[in-house]
Amino acid sequence: MRSLSDAKSESDLNSVKGIFFGKKGTLSEIMKGLSGLPIEERKQVGAAANAARQTLEAAFDARLAEFRERERKTRDAAGLIDVTLPGRLPAAGHRHPISRTMADIVSIFNRLGFSTRLGPEIEKDYYNFEALNFPADHPAREMQDTFFMDGPSSDLLLRTHTSPIQIRTMESSRPPVRVVAPGAVYRCDSDITHSPMFHQVEGFAVDQNVTFSDVKGLLTEFCSMMFGERKPLRFRPSFFPFTEPSAEVDIECVICGGKGCRVCKGSGWLEILGCGMIDPAVFGFVDYDPDLYTGFAFGMGVERIAMLRHGIGDIRLFFENDLRFLSRF
Amino acid sequence: MKILYSWLREFIDTRLSPSQLQEALTMAGIEVSACRFLGDGLDLVVVAKILEKKQHPNADKLSLCRVTDGEREYGIVCGAKNMSEGDHVALSKIGAKLPNGLEIKKAKIRGEASEGMLCSETELRLAEESAGIMILPPDSIPGTPLAVALGLSDHLLEIEITPNRGDCLSVLGVAREVAAITGEKVVLPGTDFPESGEPIGSFASVTVSDADHCPRYSARVVSDLLIAPSPAWMQRRLSLCGIRPINNVVDITNYLLLEVGQPMHAFDLDRLTASGIDVRRSGIEREFITLDGIRRKVLPEMLLIWNGDRPVAVAGVMGGENTEVLPSTSRVLFESAHFAPSAVRFAARRLGISSESSYRFERGVDPAGTVYALQRAISLLSRHTPLVAAPGTIDLGGDRTFGRSVSFRPSQADRIIGRAYGEDGCRAIFDRMAFPIAISGPGAWQVRVAPHRFDIEREIDLVEEVARLTGYDSIPTTYPESAAPEFSADDRLTATVERASEYLRTQGFSQVLNYSFVSEKELTRHANLLGYDPSDAMRLANPLSDDMTVMRPDLLMGLLRNVSSNVRRFVDEVRLFENGKAFGKSLANSLFEEQRLAFALYGHRLPGAWSGAHEWVDFFDVKGITETVLNVLGAGAVHFVPTRSRSFFVEGQAAEIIMAGETVGWMGVINHELLSAFDIERPVCYAELRIPIALSNVERPAIHREIPKFPPVFRDYACIVPSVAAVGDILAMVRELTPEIASAAVFDVFTGEKIGEGKKSIAFRIKLQPSDRTLTESEVNSIHTKVLNLLDNRFGGKIRTS
Ligand SMILES: [Zn+2]
Repeated sequence: MRSLSDAKSESDLNSVKGIFFGKKGTLSEIMKGLSGLPIEERKQVGAAANAARQTLEAAFDARLAEFRERERKTRDAAGLIDVTLPGRLPAAGHRHPISRTMADIVSIFNRLGFSTRLGPEIEKDYYNFEALNFPADHPAREMQDTFFMDGPSSDLLLRTHTSPIQIRTMESSRPPVRVVAPGAVYRCDSDITHSPMFHQVEGFAVDQNVTFSDVKGLLTEFCSMMFGERKPLRFRPSFFPFTEPSAEVDIECVICGGKGCRVCKGSGWLEILGCGMIDPAVFGFVDYDPDLYTGFAFGMGVERIAMLRHGIGDIRLFFENDLRFLSRF
Repeated sequence: MKILYSWLREFIDTRLSPSQLQEALTMAGIEVSACRFLGDGLDLVVVAKILEKKQHPNADKLSLCRVTDGEREYGIVCGAKNMSEGDHVALSKIGAKLPNGLEIKKAKIRGEASEGMLCSETELRLAEESAGIMILPPDSIPGTPLAVALGLSDHLLEIEITPNRGDCLSVLGVAREVAAITGEKVVLPGTDFPESGEPIGSFASVTVSDADHCPRYSARVVSDLLIAPSPAWMQRRLSLCGIRPINNVVDITNYLLLEVGQPMHAFDLDRLTASGIDVRRSGIEREFITLDGIRRKVLPEMLLIWNGDRPVAVAGVMGGENTEVLPSTSRVLFESAHFAPSAVRFAARRLGISSESSYRFERGVDPAGTVYALQRAISLLSRHTPLVAAPGTIDLGGDRTFGRSVSFRPSQADRIIGRAYGEDGCRAIFDRMAFPIAISGPGAWQVRVAPHRFDIEREIDLVEEVARLTGYDSIPTTYPESAAPEFSADDRLTATVERASEYLRTQGFSQVLNYSFVSEKELTRHANLLGYDPSDAMRLANPLSDDMTVMRPDLLMGLLRNVSSNVRRFVDEVRLFENGKAFGKSLANSLFEEQRLAFALYGHRLPGAWSGAHEWVDFFDVKGITETVLNVLGAGAVHFVPTRSRSFFVEGQAAEIIMAGETVGWMGVINHELLSAFDIERPVCYAELRIPIALSNVERPAIHREIPKFPPVFRDYACIVPSVAAVGDILAMVRELTPEIASAAVFDVFTGEKIGEGKKSIAFRIKLQPSDRTLTESEVNSIHTKVLNLLDNRFGGKIRTS
């Protein structure tokens, strides 16, 4: 048995095994010698030899298992890797919060049956103002500080809203239309809450029997999908040249829950949307019959919603492209 | 606009409290953004009398005052100069927290203790501007709380008026709105005053030559008056509403402007000649000095007030210096007219003036209210200023009927809003607005609209009034009936660009967003490197600043700046992409712009120096990503053609990407000179793709082909070709040799002494795979010969024998 524990490897073990079990091994010799013994003695020695064989075999098997386990461990240790090291391909980057928020808004309206339309950022006065019922020389134009393009024709400007897409869409298709129109817009204004370039999502629908109550229902649905819970909304009369009646939509302040705080200027409400029924004058420009069709339109500022969503206080952060900021999203 | 609650109550005895009023007006579309109790913050502010004033021993600009509140004396250090011993002033004691947020603490100023502060009107938020501290009337009683002494138990409402509601730019206008909301009645204050002396006709005469732009011109004359300050209460109201008090005559015109919304002008009658007043256009370009002393260029179209052959005012905008009221004035002609919004707007815009008067005329002033404003003005003025009011009123156009009738079908309110108002619901609203209704047919009304509501001209305007004044809260929420949405080309573009963006994000790129306008100065500084063509630039006529003057010609400069600024913030691995538009006169397919997707790589090819990945990014990193992005965008087969025309790339490490004969983008390694201009030390690889071109590829459904049943045969080639030979071209030609060549792929390229100057070694493998059989030995040999011939004949390629 000592030679068994002295064995250092599987081959050592095999040679030891040969000493006992081989053709000329101890046990074989004993078994061979049995035939020369008297029957009584033969029985006794045979039984003892068998018991010894079983004990030895068990001991060999255990020792073998021990070697195999040790060998496996050695082999594994050679291929061991540190799974905490970084992966070989670059870690994923980050989507810009404005782009992501805009995509989220658009995708909600896509699901609600609105198809996406885009439009040019350098726009004609006609589409940005005139056909949207902003007459030339009307104070309503002062609501939107406009960048004009330099050149012989003063007709080109940077669109101040995504609403020109309403006109472009209606010019090229007949009702029913249901469109959501995202994009960059521009106004000459810059401070902590205003950027000369920002983003809007506009949407509108025209059909027979479209009502103000429909836009109220649609936007209520949108807000609960966008802001997660059924937050109270408030529709308040307002003025936009291209809709009448018009409304500003306020949502209960997401910061203070309506109690009043610095963000909502103590009112408990945050203005997030504008909407209204498309003005019949606009239909006049695209040759839709206002006695047959009605339509609603709505619009929202993407930066404002992203700021509320992510708790961002300064709009300029969106355009600094600092990876320390972007990598939060 | 600011409105005092007490002032409003003089026109409508409303039961609404200030905060209820704020809510009710806001929910009717007249947004009240703030409602402030004037007594707030004045708890520890009292009337005090100055007993002694002397120079601060250690500071020239400060004085030391000893004041009393009737009970004890206080030593105060004060920076103002406008007070004298015996004056009554507003003392805020230690512990006061003033309306402007200032907290008063016990302080030592330059060695002298100050036991409080003497306040200015600005600090008390009683005026928007003030010079020095507030001096109270001499009969004030020391110790009286300031709020009591000044009657400040009032609220100031700040109202945001939308451009369509010029009629609400006055106390009377808001009172009318309150009446329309609550059903309460507006009561106009009386206008009694005695008249005496010669009738107005003996002092003044008026003609209106341009009645189109001046439908009504009313005037009155007063004489024997003394120019003096207005009473304190009137000055306070003006100050609180943002207008600086001047004297009794100017103040009364401003007071009426705020009260009834009628801009008035006071002419010094003694400075007008006897030739009378006329209203007509300038006719020629001329110079005119307005009462702010500025010499202005008046255009021929501008509407002027004339005295004989000289202009005395720009109608509705500003009066002239030549007839301005002076301290010596004793006779005044008050003008109260209605000028057309377009005429006033034209003059105000071209002259660059926005006065309280022009602001209101542009938005529409009630033409029916000119005479009431005159009467009210003289009545109020005569209460505190002795004067003689000449009998009679000049009133040209006063016999006209103002206002209009608008056709209205009550059924339209229900149809457009989606709520059942019914005829009764509509009638109730028009009653509250005091708009009489005439029935003109079944379900058809004629509604008589009051002249001050310039915004109501059409049926939809009346529908809005019904909805607004009934309340938006009562409108149900329904869901629009759905038609199946169509899938537009823009849906495809948006979804495709979104997929490409997500791919780039998974490759470690972060998305940036740059302004579309950039600095032309900066573009020009590196014009050669950036390939900037000024003749193609779309410039802004009115840029906000010098660094936002021109629309970006491409996305390159923005991304380089982003890389640079992030590197300077100690970010080592910078991968950025941007979706946005490039602009240029040559991009005339749309309105001079094109959607682009651009990306920049900077740093290591792979992260983790631990694994031995030390190489910086190079051409083939950006190429691999570009190929995948184009694939995600659904672009068809593209070729990478070496280019020299993009000066921002390193020569020889740049490619034009061609799809169906058109440039779909460009990519390469950014030029070192350009990198150093942007302070970047390591390589930047860059690609910019033209989205409309990439998307112009029409993807047809793929046609299934039998999967080969037989194993392919591979052949490897190693050959030496001139180093100018493009591997892509060689392989493309090999592939076209025979249809049995299923693919040809390069697996090694190298140069070196062994190969020889001007030569390179390339190794590639072809796969032979006919779909229907196994190739025979002789077929394989024949293809092999073709390949060798091609290499030899077209590229001078010599097979290497190793
Ligand atoms: Zn809040």
